[in-house]
Amino acid sequence: MNRKRPSAWQQYKTLLKKDLQREFRTKEMVTSMGIYAILVLIIFGASLGQSATADTIVKISGGLLWVLIVFTGLLGLNRSFSYEKEQSCLEGILLVPMDRSVIYLAKATSNLVFLLAVEVIAIPLYYFFFLTASAPSETFLYMLIPLFVGTVGISGVGTILSTITVNTRGRDVILAVLLIPLIFPLLYAGVSATGAMIVGADGCWDTFTVSLALAAGYDVVMLLVSWVLYDYVVSA
Amino acid sequence: MRKDSKENPQKKPTLPEVGQWPDKLAMPALIGGAVFTTVGFLLAFLYAGPVNGAAVDGVEVINGELVGNVLLLSQKIFYFHMPLGIASFIAIGFAVYYAIRYLRSKEVRFDTCSRICMEVGLVFVVGTMVTGDLWTRFEWGVWWTWDPRLTTYLILTLLIIAYFVLRSALKEPERRASYASVVAILAGIDVPICYGITRLVPSSLHPVIIRESGMTPDMVIALMFCMIGMMLVAYAFYRIRFRQVRIAERTQALKERLEDFE
Repeated sequence: MNRKRPSAWQQYKTLLKKDLQREFRTKEMVTSMGIYAILVLIIFGASLGQSATADTIVKISGGLLWVLIVFTGLLGLNRSFSYEKEQSCLEGILLVPMDRSVIYLAKATSNLVFLLAVEVIAIPLYYFFFLTASAPSETFLYMLIPLFVGTVGISGVGTILSTITVNTRGRDVILAVLLIPLIFPLLYAGVSATGAMIVGADGCWDTFTVSLALAAGYDVVMLLVSWVLYDYVVSA
Repeated sequence: MRKDSKENPQKKPTLPEVGQWPDKLAMPALIGGAVFTTVGFLLAFLYAGPVNGAAVDGVEVINGELVGNVLLLSQKIFYFHMPLGIASFIAIGFAVYYAIRYLRSKEVRFDTCSRICMEVGLVFVVGTMVTGDLWTRFEWGVWWTWDPRLTTYLILTLLIIAYFVLRSALKEPERRASYASVVAILAGIDVPICYGITRLVPSSLHPVIIRESGMTPDMVIALMFCMIGMMLVAYAFYRIRFRQVRIAERTQALKERLEDFE
C-alpha cells in the first residue's frame, strides 16, 4: 500500500477528473450553456438582422462575441458550485488535508474547459450566422487569442466569486453584480483586441498588442490574487 | 472553521472597545476640513487664474482651440473633482488594507473598519461622479462618454455597490466578514487600474496633470487647499461613523452578556 501523501499535482488531477467525469455522465453544463449561447445568437439575429449591414456587423463583432461569452460564462459559473453544495461534496473535499488553492485551480480549470467547449460550438455558429456575408480579413483567426485570454480570466475570477455567491441569498443576481464590474477591464481590452483582428484595418497590430498585453496582465494579477485569497473564501 | 463562530462569544468575553483617543480628532478634522474646503472654493474662483492664464472676459485660444467663458469657468470644477477622486481612492485603499488585516487576524474590528472605509469611499465616489458628470456636460458637450477613466471609475462605483449588496445577502457575521474582505481586495485592484489608465491608454480625455501639462502655482495652491480639506472631511466621516458603529456593537454585546446572566 502506498502510504505517501499524494502530491498537489495528483490532487489537482483527481479533482479535475471528478468534475469532468460528472460532466461526461450528465452533460448538464455544456448542454445548458450551449443552448443558452445559441439563444443569445438568435437574439442577436433579431436585433441585427433587420437593419444592420454586413459591414456594420463586422465592426461590432468583437463586442458581440464578448457578450456571448460573458453571458454564457455567467450561466455556467452559477451552476459550477451549486451541485458541489447539493451533496455536501465541497465539505468532503475540505476534509482532505490539502492546500486549498489546489481546489481553486482544479475548479477554475474545469470551468475553463466547459466554457471553451461551448465556445468551440458557439463561435463557428456566430461566424456562420453573421460573418459569412462578408469576406474575413487576413488577421481574422488571431481573434482567438484574446478570446482565450479573456475566457481564462472569466473562469478564474468567476470561480472565486461563485464560491462566494453560492452561499448567499439570490446568488444568480449577486454573481452577475460582482462578476461583470470585476472583469470589465478585461472585457474592455478584449473587445478592442478582438475587434481589431476581425476588422483588420491598418495599425490593427498596435491596438492588438497593447490590448492583449493589458488583458494578459489583468489575468495574471487577478488569478494570483484569487489564488491567494481562495483559502479564506472556501473555508469561511 | 464554522464551529468557531458559535464558540467565540464564550471564548472571548472582551467587549468591543469604544472611545479611543482618535475620536477626539474627529470634530476638529471635520471643522478644519470644512474651513479648508471653503477657503479652497474661494481661492479657486478669486485667486487661481483660468487655464494658461487666459482672461475670463471673452474668448481665448488655448492649444489652438477657441474657448469661451463657460468652459473656462467650468474648469473650476476641477478643484473639487480631483480631490474628491483622490479621497475616494484613499478611502478604498484603506478598505483594502483593513480587509487584509481582517483576513490575517479575524478580528471583527478590522471588518468594521473596512466596511466603514467602503461607506466613506461610496460617498466620495458618488461626489466624484456627480462633479465629473457636470464637467463632462460643459467640457465635452455630452452627459456620458466611454472614456477609459470614466469607464473604470464607473465600474469602481458599481463594485462598491456590489460590495454592499453582497454584505446584505449574507447572514452569518463571520462568513460575511470574510467574503466582504475578499471582495474588497478584488475591488481594490480597480483603483490602480483607474489611476493608471490615463497613462496606459493615451487616448484618454483626462490629462496627466501632475507629470505632463502642469499647473500654475496659483492653481496648485487652490488645489492643495481643497485636497487637504477633502482628506480631513473623509477622515472625520470615517471616525464619526466608526464611533457610532462601535457604540452599537458594544451595546449589542452588553445586551447579550446581560441575557447570559439571567
